[in-house]
Amino acid sequence: MTSASWAMTLVVTVNAILFHAMPRFSRPDILFAVTVPDAFAAGAGRTLVWRYRAIVWSGAAAALAISLLLPSPLPGSGRGALLVLIVVTGNMMVALAAWLLAHRKARAHAVPPSDVRVASLVPRDTSLPGGALFAVGPFAILLATALLVYTYQDDAPDRTGTIRSFGPLAFGAVYVAMMLTMAVSLARGTRQIAVDGLAAAAEQRFRRMNVLVLVLVGYATAILLSAVTLESIRAFGDTLSGRVWLVLLPVVLFNFGVAFWMFRVGQGGQRAVSPAARQEVHGDATPDHAWKVGGLFYFNPHDSAIWVEKRVGFGYTLNIGNSRAWLLIGMMLAPVVAARLLF
Amino acid sequence: MTGGLRVSLNLESHTPAYRQIANDLRRHLVEGRLKPGDLLPPVRQLAVDLGVHFNTVALAYRMLADEGWLELKRRRGAGVIARNSPRAVGRLQVDHLLRQLAHIAAELRSVGMTSRQISSALRRLAQGARP
Repeated sequence: MTSASWAMTLVVTVNAILFHAMPRFSRPDILFAVTVPDAFAAGAGRTLVWRYRAIVWSGAAAALAISLLLPSPLPGSGRGALLVLIVVTGNMMVALAAWLLAHRKARAHAVPPSDVRVASLVPRDTSLPGGALFAVGPFAILLATALLVYTYQDDAPDRTGTIRSFGPLAFGAVYVAMMLTMAVSLARGTRQIAVDGLAAAAEQRFRRMNVLVLVLVGYATAILLSAVTLESIRAFGDTLSGRVWLVLLPVVLFNFGVAFWMFRVGQGGQRAVSPAARQEVHGDATPDHAWKVGGLFYFNPHDSAIWVEKRVGFGYTLNIGNSRAWLLIGMMLAPVVAARLLF
Repeated sequence: MTGGLRVSLNLESHTPAYRQIANDLRRHLVEGRLKPGDLLPPVRQLAVDLGVHFNTVALAYRMLADEGWLELKRRRGAGVIARNSPRAVGRLQVDHLLRQLAHIAAELRSVGMTSRQISSALRRLAQGARP
């Protein structure tokens, strides 16, 4: 097997595993991005999941068979990369089609949306985990690095190099600002679905973990860009040289930890709660018809929530029908603009 | 404030959303479940939770503030304040409410309730019982 075949096998297998697990990436009463009765989820819904997974794995097996049966392209001809692209894209298309088909079938069993909405009158904690001082920490790190760069400017390879080294720091400041804005809007602009009890507490824990992740991404970005910047200065270069992984390793480990935790507690933290504790809540308080493309996008101009729980995957997604969400989307482009201007 | 306090909104109801919210809040206030010093959620938080526009909740809070139940706090929602005596209301407003009550009583009689049953139900409601 060539390296292209190995790469293709890996991508196709990972893709199949992800699509296999996707039905579990939602609240227990949401199946294929549709709010369904518990009886359906525990009965006929399982058959639907089984058929969906059979298509996903058949598609993956077909993709691998094609890649193995076709003659290996000549090295350097460019046909190898093209073959990988075609097979991987085709495999993803099959898996996506299986999802959309299952979504359409599940819609026939959808629970009609409730006409009654309920909310708690107890104010909840919408502050950033660790407080405002902790949240601005990444800016302090970037500022301290900028001061060091300024102090040691004579130690830089050349004058232009010193000036250029402020670029990553400025980019970092823009990126961290974006992360903090997202964290604040997530803490304040997300709907609490369970009104009270254990289900509500689990949901609040899940939300705050997501907010904390955004704040910590800001820290990781600031530390990483500071390390890269200081590495170019002779006084620090020897100490830091080749040790950027020391920063990256905890970030990667943390990400794995969070992913594992989210998989364990489930979307909105609801799989960690007993069915009895969450029986009052059904679904995620969003209408099925507002979810587009098999439940990937939420478009509801009548919903004041900026963020809603994803129906496919863990965490939150933007309500693209809300004009304020587009302000956030615009802000997400800020780092791209910053990179264009600074580098 | 005791846990489990909630406000509900029926989308099929003919009663405007802001009035439904205000009615629920007033019931909690009258029955003493919301006490002076208690804080209500910020307007945005309650609006997002109920899936309504911010102005809907703001209007409900404003209505109760005008009745003397709440003190509106900028960015912090609203706080319940001591209301020693009901605010003096105009005769017209009382007449309006009594007319509404008369309509409801007529509707109840049309669905088969007797005058005695209606009186008894009204007495229970006035004493704080849930329908």
